[in-house]
Amino acid sequence: MSVRAMGYGYLPTQLASRLALACMAAVLLAVTSLAAQAADKPSGPRPETTPELLSEGQSVYFRRCSFCHGLLGDGEGPAAEYLDPRPRDFTLGTFKFRTTQSGELPTDEDLFRTISRGLPGTGMQAFDAALIKNGLTEQERWAVIAYIKTFAQEFEDPDLDPVKTGKLVKLPDARAPFNADTVAKGKEVFKKAKCWSCHGMLGRGDGNKEFRKDDWGFTIRIRNVTHAWKIKAGAEVEDIYMRFSTGINGTPMPSFVKSLSEEDRWYLANYIKSLQHKLTEHQVLRALHVDGGVPDAPDANAWAGAEPMDVRLTGQVIAAPRWQNPSIEMATLRAVHNDKEIAFLLEWDDPFKDIVHKQDEAFDPKEIRKVGALSSYVASDGMVTRKLEVFPDSIALQFPVKPPNGTKKPHFFRGNSSDPVQLWVWKADLEGQGMRPVAEAIARGWRQPPRPQAEDKQQVSAKASWDQGRWSLVIKRPLTTPDKSDVQFAAGQFIPMALNAWDGSNGEHGLIMSLSTWHYLFIEAPTPMRVYIYTLLAVLVVGAFGVWLARRVEREAGKA
Amino acid sequence: MSKRTGKFRINRFWSVVATLIVIYALIKWGIPAASREITGLPFPLPVPGTLIFMYMVLTLITLFMFVTFSNDYMEEFLGPIKGLLSARYGKLPRLLVLLAVPLIAGWQVYEATVPKIELPSSLRIQHPSSNFPRKFEAMKSPIANPPDTAIEAFIEQAKAGEVELIAQVQPDVERWMEETDPEHMLDFIATAPMKKFLAELKGGTVSKETAKAALLEKYLFEGRALYAMNCRACHGDSVSGDGPMADGFKLRPINFTDNGTIETIVEGYTFWRVANGGPGLPTEATPWDSAMPEWKLSLTEEERWKIIFAEYDLAEKTPRIPEGH
Repeated sequence: MSVRAMGYGYLPTQLASRLALACMAAVLLAVTSLAAQAADKPSGPRPETTPELLSEGQSVYFRRCSFCHGLLGDGEGPAAEYLDPRPRDFTLGTFKFRTTQSGELPTDEDLFRTISRGLPGTGMQAFDAALIKNGLTEQERWAVIAYIKTFAQEFEDPDLDPVKTGKLVKLPDARAPFNADTVAKGKEVFKKAKCWSCHGMLGRGDGNKEFRKDDWGFTIRIRNVTHAWKIKAGAEVEDIYMRFSTGINGTPMPSFVKSLSEEDRWYLANYIKSLQHKLTEHQVLRALHVDGGVPDAPDANAWAGAEPMDVRLTGQVIAAPRWQNPSIEMATLRAVHNDKEIAFLLEWDDPFKDIVHKQDEAFDPKEIRKVGALSSYVASDGMVTRKLEVFPDSIALQFPVKPPNGTKKPHFFRGNSSDPVQLWVWKADLEGQGMRPVAEAIARGWRQPPRPQAEDKQQVSAKASWDQGRWSLVIKRPLTTPDKSDVQFAAGQFIPMALNAWDGSNGEHGLIMSLSTWHYLFIEAPTPMRVYIYTLLAVLVVGAFGVWLARRVEREAGKA
Repeated sequence: MSKRTGKFRINRFWSVVATLIVIYALIKWGIPAASREITGLPFPLPVPGTLIFMYMVLTLITLFMFVTFSNDYMEEFLGPIKGLLSARYGKLPRLLVLLAVPLIAGWQVYEATVPKIELPSSLRIQHPSSNFPRKFEAMKSPIANPPDTAIEAFIEQAKAGEVELIAQVQPDVERWMEETDPEHMLDFIATAPMKKFLAELKGGTVSKETAKAALLEKYLFEGRALYAMNCRACHGDSVSGDGPMADGFKLRPINFTDNGTIETIVEGYTFWRVANGGPGLPTEATPWDSAMPEWKLSLTEEERWKIIFAEYDLAEKTPRIPEGH
């Protein structure tokens, strides 16, 4: 090949590789932006509002929206009272999630995005036909938006149209990348703007000492920004930026447009993004073996070496009284053991430390248990007392009493009559009264409350602490006990394990609680000696045979 | 390379090794790849380990016969092995092979004997029928197929302007009536069959067919409301198994818009499952992981049928027709 030809060859190759790189970058960009926006951005302009469009919108609204938002759009449909947050009352023209200035109406595209993506952590789900098979087409979404806008007079006033008045909030032109530097700058903004006064220093929503209410008089939860799956209008940096630039109408969340620069708000969004917890995905909790004693306090060093497992919890909706508004949706578990004992560390976020129990406020679920009672769900602001100092916080670890036979297990919700479960129930109010804070109990299904075991059979102990919106609890027990109705922790077995949890100030008590399905605990057994012996034998026998063979061949070759 | 024939010929030892490798590769990767082409399924069908073992044993027997066919063949086959063992290719390669073979054997034995940590897994049968009572097979929904008496009663109620609605939806409908002062209380169901019925009602002559279609619209409305109140939290407001509570369950709530769910079963089966929930499942369907409630404890039969009617409608599916019909 000539030098010239090589020269010619060189340039196109470089060009080609650059082109390929550019193409790849473009594709990557297109894919990521598609994933973020494909579903929620209309492909074309909004169709003209005609009587036909309104009639189509009315029919979509009747079929898909009215059961929560009500036939009149007042947010009082038949399912409304079980939801928290409540369905939007369209008649007031107050909308939380917008790209318009604080207090303004939303744009049509804002409504389009909410209907398309839904609002995670609420009853409002995505309706985009690209996401769900029987969802709404773009035309149907525009039709229902046109219809929804007829509920509030404000939409008829051109002076209130944020597009005409130009009261829009746009993303900044210069968007600093997400990195350690911009996150650190954001943290300074978080302190300066006093975001912590409501959201807490660590973003767990624990800044207020009292409940706050929204404009409709409903008790609100201050967002725990570390739980990304609950962030209603999107968990990306762009979405977060919009929330404190537009404020959330109807709630105490203000707009920071006047007090913070565009740049600072972008840094802040980066910081909030960095606080989001990444969920672990495994279902097996591996207990760490230690040679010394197992830790009996949450702040012990031994926990650092134990692998954490996140357990998702959800509302107890299996038996009446059913509960759709659980507060505890995740707990992180760790386990440490030595030859005698095992200790569990349970950590979960809870903005209020509820350590008071007033027994007389408990509600009687008998009415709700009747067949054909109006609904078997507990209303979000109705029957439960959602206030402080009524019910204590509580959590329970659940294990099968009998070791599982094959894959057969007791039902994850408190077992069954033939297959009981053991619960280690910890209650936040007991330690302060000088009582043992945790008790072992046996449950045979949900129809009867768990029955505490006899005093002389109580072998668990616990130590808890609450700090900045998080409970940390250590529960400890000997690995094995002589008691037949206790779970026994044998090495080399998968032991099913589940959680029940109660947030007292969320009105949770009895069956009004969160629960998880079965996960597993695994205590590694040391490798049996025979494995090493067999391996060694195999190496020696095969090696000796090889040497013998080599010698024989050499001898034969020598003879020849 | 053979000088006698002048043609390239591989030594018998290496042809045996090559044959073994090619046949193993064909079974291990070739057959699964071909299976994708043949079945058209999006995943390959792997050859089971025991079958691979049998094929390889057969191959070894054939190769043994091939090698031992004559003394010349045998000599040629053993040539490279003897060469290696007598250090004809050097002492270092011999040492390496004599070390590597026992180590590989030891590794295999260790792998075979060391206790494996594997999560107990179980196959789950989605629509178990081992404890499905036969009397439910041919059961017909009294809501999807209303009897004449129900249609006649509905016409009378509509004429009087006092149509019976389930208590759960009454407050919302009453507020709507107060606010809008409608011509007829059923005007809020603004669908074509209902409009036709109300027009016929105004005209004075109502056909039974029109009335039945309108009654079904009323049932759908009630069923959707009951679904939104009782089932939506898990199965989602678009019956896609993605409700706000769905993420907490290991067994995700069923997505009714999926093919192979509610369209493959008769409506009697759906009714039986809704009534008995997770606890009513037989062992092969892992009842201990199911969060489905026993709805017979909280919903009346009529409520359950209305929900099922609305559920099929929202999912845009129809139940399977019972056998013998």
